[in-house]
Amino acid sequence: MEKNNSCAKVPTVLATDDLTLVKRIKTGDQRAFKLLVERYQRKVFGVAMGMLKDKEEAMDVAQEAFVKVYKYLDYFKADSSFSTWLYRITTNLCIDVVRRRRAMRGEPVEFDETLALDTSEAHLGALGSRLGTNPQKSALRKELAQKIQEALEQVPEKHRAILLLREVEGMSYEDLSRTLGVPKGTVMSRLFHARSKVQKILSEYLELDEKKVGVGSE
Amino acid sequence: MGENQACQSFLPLLSAYIDTELTPSQRTQVERHLSACPTCTLRAADLRAESALVRVGLDIVADEVDFKDFPQKVLARVTLERPPFWERVSLWASETLAHERRTVLAAAAVALLALSPWLWLERAPEGYAQKRLEVQAVSVDPSQMPSVQPVVVKTESGDAIIFLTEPAAAPPNQGEREEEGGLAPAAPQDTPTGGEL
Repeated sequence: MEKNNSCAKVPTVLATDDLTLVKRIKTGDQRAFKLLVERYQRKVFGVAMGMLKDKEEAMDVAQEAFVKVYKYLDYFKADSSFSTWLYRITTNLCIDVVRRRRAMRGEPVEFDETLALDTSEAHLGALGSRLGTNPQKSALRKELAQKIQEALEQVPEKHRAILLLREVEGMSYEDLSRTLGVPKGTVMSRLFHARSKVQKILSEYLELDEKKVGVGSE
Repeated sequence: MGENQACQSFLPLLSAYIDTELTPSQRTQVERHLSACPTCTLRAADLRAESALVRVGLDIVADEVDFKDFPQKVLARVTLERPPFWERVSLWASETLAHERRTVLAAAAVALLALSPWLWLERAPEGYAQKRLEVQAVSVDPSQMPSVQPVVVKTESGDAIIFLTEPAAAPPNQGEREEEGGLAPAAPQDTPTGGEL
């Protein structure tokens, strides 16, 4: 195989890692801050949207998260990754909003984590068989995306946060544990609860939907 | 499909299994169980599908959002929250004094040295510290009492200096007075008649 000796130089802006941008922001480089925002804006919004279900509120929280990052950047210790810190800020903001909403509705603020795990066999295999290995084809339906939002809303916020960070950012259990300040075992348990809940709601919806419109899985 | 009692112990591990977060020995045990349990195999497939659905569903929502102005909006909020200008100046000054004291003192000393001639000059009324005056005109009012002869001298800056002299001796010629912008020294007299400043 012929070796290509003309190595194209990677543009500095693409090769700049988070910590380098953070250092530049601390010296007052607003362009570096803009780059960092652009790098994470979509994912931060995704987490906020998953937590709050309201687009305006999610946008507001996403912006607020970056404002806090800018304000408190001097307190960021480089011993943890920047994304871990950013998502911690984001989820805390989201949890505050959810709790405020719940308090206004007069509902209990804290979730009872001792609730039994739902292991019923109802709708077993519905998701897997319905969507096969290509969920994107089915998920292109807008109403399904909306249903996912509704399902997420029924998951307690602490479990929801873990699920969203796992799915949106692909965080490892170790990072999730550090981000949310809970043991790894708790991460595992909460993630399983959250997925089971969402899975049950989506399976019911997909089976009902299939009966209504007779749409195939792919 | 009957639920196997053994499934209960493996259920909590299924989520971590699809995330590849199990230890090697745990993964081996789960895989062994899955190979023998269609129920748990279906559950694992459902979990994978659900995981993918959540990801894709959130992507769909994010696709509908225009992030073009997002960084600018964040920066606008950040700018609004900055402390007032004077507070920032005072913070900067106190930090500079605290950490750069020698530099500040040296700069102050240099500034003082540079400004001192101007400061000294500024103290003396104009005319007294200058080497010479640029005299533009000299006039003598003859209508005044013989014992007093006011002399009005106008300088470039417009100031008038009045000298009262006694007409003991004939006033000097005008030409002598206008020599090189300075008052020519008066002829030696018993009483002072004014002269060069």
